[in-house]
Amino acid sequence: MAGSEAAQVRLEPDGGMTVNLGPQPPSTHGVLRLMVQLDGEYVRSCEPVIGYLHRGLERMFEARPYRQLVPFTDRLDYLASLNCNLAMSQAIERLGSVAVPERAQYIRVILCELNRLASHLVFFGTFAQDVGATTAFLYAFRERERILDLLEAMTGARLTYNWIRPGGVPADLPEGFAEGVLSFVRDLLKELPLYDRLLTNNPIFRMRTEGVGVISRDVAVAFGASGPVARGSGLSYDIRKTEPYEVYDRLDFDVPVYDEGDCMARYRVRMDEMCQSARILEQCFRDLPEGDIATKMPKVFRPPAGDAYSRTESPRGELSVYMRSDGSPNPQRVHVRAPSFVHLSMLPCLLRGVKLADVIAILGSLDTVLGEVDR
Amino acid sequence: MAAANMTAGQDRRAVAAGQITAGVILLAALLALASVGYHAVERVRDTPVVAFIGEHPLLNAFAKSFIVANFVTLHVLFLIWWERKFAGWMQARLGPKHVGWNGLAQTVADAVKLLLKEDIIPAKADGRLFVIAPFLVFMPTLLTFMVLPFSASWVGYNFGLGALFALAVSTNVSLGILAAGWGANNKYSLLGGARACAQVLAYEVPLAITVLAVVAVSGTVSLVDIGAQQSRWWNIVAHAPVMIPAFVLFLICALAELNRTPFDLPEAESELVSGFHTEYSGMRFAFFYLAEFANNFFMAGLAVTLFFGGWFGPLLPGPVWFTIKTVGLVTAMMWIRWTVPRFRVDQMMGFCWKVLVPASLVVFCASALWGMWVQR
Amino acid sequence: MRRKHGFWIGFVSVFRGLGVTLLNLVGRRKVTVQYPLERPKVSPRYRGLFYLPFDEEAGRLKCVGCTLCAQACPTKVISMKKLGSGKHAGVSEFTMDLGRCMFCNLCIEACPFDAIHMGPEYELASYNRNASVFTIVDLAPGGAEAVRRNNATIEAAIKAENETGGSERKGHIAEVKLVVPPKTGGQEA
Repeated sequence: MAGSEAAQVRLEPDGGMTVNLGPQPPSTHGVLRLMVQLDGEYVRSCEPVIGYLHRGLERMFEARPYRQLVPFTDRLDYLASLNCNLAMSQAIERLGSVAVPERAQYIRVILCELNRLASHLVFFGTFAQDVGATTAFLYAFRERERILDLLEAMTGARLTYNWIRPGGVPADLPEGFAEGVLSFVRDLLKELPLYDRLLTNNPIFRMRTEGVGVISRDVAVAFGASGPVARGSGLSYDIRKTEPYEVYDRLDFDVPVYDEGDCMARYRVRMDEMCQSARILEQCFRDLPEGDIATKMPKVFRPPAGDAYSRTESPRGELSVYMRSDGSPNPQRVHVRAPSFVHLSMLPCLLRGVKLADVIAILGSLDTVLGEVDR
Repeated sequence: MAAANMTAGQDRRAVAAGQITAGVILLAALLALASVGYHAVERVRDTPVVAFIGEHPLLNAFAKSFIVANFVTLHVLFLIWWERKFAGWMQARLGPKHVGWNGLAQTVADAVKLLLKEDIIPAKADGRLFVIAPFLVFMPTLLTFMVLPFSASWVGYNFGLGALFALAVSTNVSLGILAAGWGANNKYSLLGGARACAQVLAYEVPLAITVLAVVAVSGTVSLVDIGAQQSRWWNIVAHAPVMIPAFVLFLICALAELNRTPFDLPEAESELVSGFHTEYSGMRFAFFYLAEFANNFFMAGLAVTLFFGGWFGPLLPGPVWFTIKTVGLVTAMMWIRWTVPRFRVDQMMGFCWKVLVPASLVVFCASALWGMWVQR
Repeated sequence: MRRKHGFWIGFVSVFRGLGVTLLNLVGRRKVTVQYPLERPKVSPRYRGLFYLPFDEEAGRLKCVGCTLCAQACPTKVISMKKLGSGKHAGVSEFTMDLGRCMFCNLCIEACPFDAIHMGPEYELASYNRNASVFTIVDLAPGGAEAVRRNNATIEAAIKAENETGGSERKGHIAEVKLVVPPKTGGQEA
């Protein structure tokens, strides 16, 4: 009775089926909803629905004096909040032509690269989880925990750091920080080959990622992809090289580029970037000069009318902040160019005709953070 | 702070050493107890009451079913604990720790919780299918245990066609999974159920062929006879050239039959939430879980019977040896489960039909030739 | 031929992967912190629950009620009631709605008297929203007794000053309420 009365799973007239992935399932990396039109296991089309995390941050920026903006940027890309702090601080500094002391610039780079490592470790863990390997996730988080401990010693917080401010950084490195970071970096460099052995070389992992979700170079350019997604598609594009900020022009590091454009290429770019971040950290501690850690900012900061644009390379790609001032203590307009948002817009085009399991793998390989997408 | 960490580390190491010692002592005690228990049971067997039960057909069947059902239910409590503990250690965690010694009673607590939970049947579900599915999954599992030989005499039913019976019955699990997937009226469940059905049916083919390879070497289909032949040398040693590839194929197919990683597509967490048992909770969910682990034990037990000398081993009595070997093999399956990623559905099917089936056919032919040669 | 080669490499690399998990099974320290039983040590800079330091020598809280922290706060968490003025200024009420707090450290940096700090306390979850509003009694390290001593000290000082009549400015009570941030222009202006 119940069987005949209850409509079974509703099919579309042509035999298709609409499945909602998200906003709750564990693999959508935040509150993203994917409306997937399925034909059996094949995806006919996919429509990402965003906005579940919208907080109106850009409007909130306009209602705050400049000194109060940075804490909100922690909530953009919460896996790499220091990189967001940096983008916002740079925009404010450019607006008011504030010079940042050299030591502060080095400390900023150190913090950003540590956060990049943490973010890429999360990517490694969650991507492994997405393709079904559970254990790699915990190994990655074990290493990330050490970064969080270091950043906690530096900033006092474990996720929303708010430790890069207009003018510099609020406090100097704590005692033993350099030794802590360097010993961590050494351990990480020993750990990364194990990750390769565990996951990268695994034949099943390679079957799941090679040739899946291919973004050609042209498509990447057309959509404005940046960061590891662009570099996985053969574009050698890294803001740290093309438009160096802070002290990146004095540091020696390579930009890993892979031409395949598939999930594996994006994965490899991020894994290689971890080694490069480790190199950058070692150089920073070698070259770290003595000196001030911040330029004193006036209590009420009134930059001259005008606008500023700051571009930074966040772990996800090109994170930029546009800011316009009308001479008052609050910015007139702030816009955040979030890489995750751009990459998410590629999804409907990438997912046409793939299998259901690939949806998760491709989404994972784009490494989006919904805090940044919805703002 | 560093010094504090150091002492904490040393404390922890001392505690870990203590735990390991306690574990070894406990294991030794358990084995001794099992041996004593075995001899006690053997003695009880000769008493007139037991002899009477043994001869009465109905009572006999009832007693055996009772023992099998209880064994299946209770050993799963241990297996689940062991899997959680093993996975925890492998993932740099501690695993269950608080209920009982090292969390040993955690599964009991979980089972009690599941049994006491509200029985939820979704409003739009097909009620009858939804209700019956967990039992359809669980029943074949119970049946397979009837022919699993813990020793020459410790077997529910010494069936001449034991190996074929076990394979035939265990395939019926897919029926229950399909019923669960369809009955829940949930898209994730439906996809999971369809995947499970296709997977179990496909992998049944190479699995059966590899079992036949063993049959070709041993010349008998009875599991008890296959086991009894290995009193001197295990099959995998005595017939290594054909049995090692056969075992590898068997292990892969068994993993697929059991829906365990890398073949856990029916319950692929990242895309299908929990696949066919998404809508199940409480006791019905517990039945799926029970069946999954019991099946795991059965498949490992079958492998032990076919390849690893069944119940033969020094010192300890047969059933104890059988259990040790089987738990060892279950652990190996867990090890694989917590290491590798998951296949995609087309790769899974392709792997079966393009690699495993031809390979198992080759192994089967080789075993048949080997068997002829050995017997001559 | 190449494909077959790849197959064997793949076959072997599965076992290498199994080796990594085995290494972690037997050769690595387990990192679990059994949280309610073991509590992690937080760093000295840790940004946890706020407290208002008590000045034992003066017998009062350090806070003078200047509202700089309230002005620096991006989410308007802090409200206070000023007690006295001038030399003897202090607070009689100091309320923080931590449900809105971002723990961004800006109030602490804004304070010229070192009168507000963040401590190592991190268990701030509560069963209702009102419990995340912390009053001066919750924030002062000595609780109600410290607040009583603070109020008594300041009131006595004001009384003494008013009686001697030495100062032109009489002690008075000022109050800052919770305010919705204005759209443009700072409250500093």
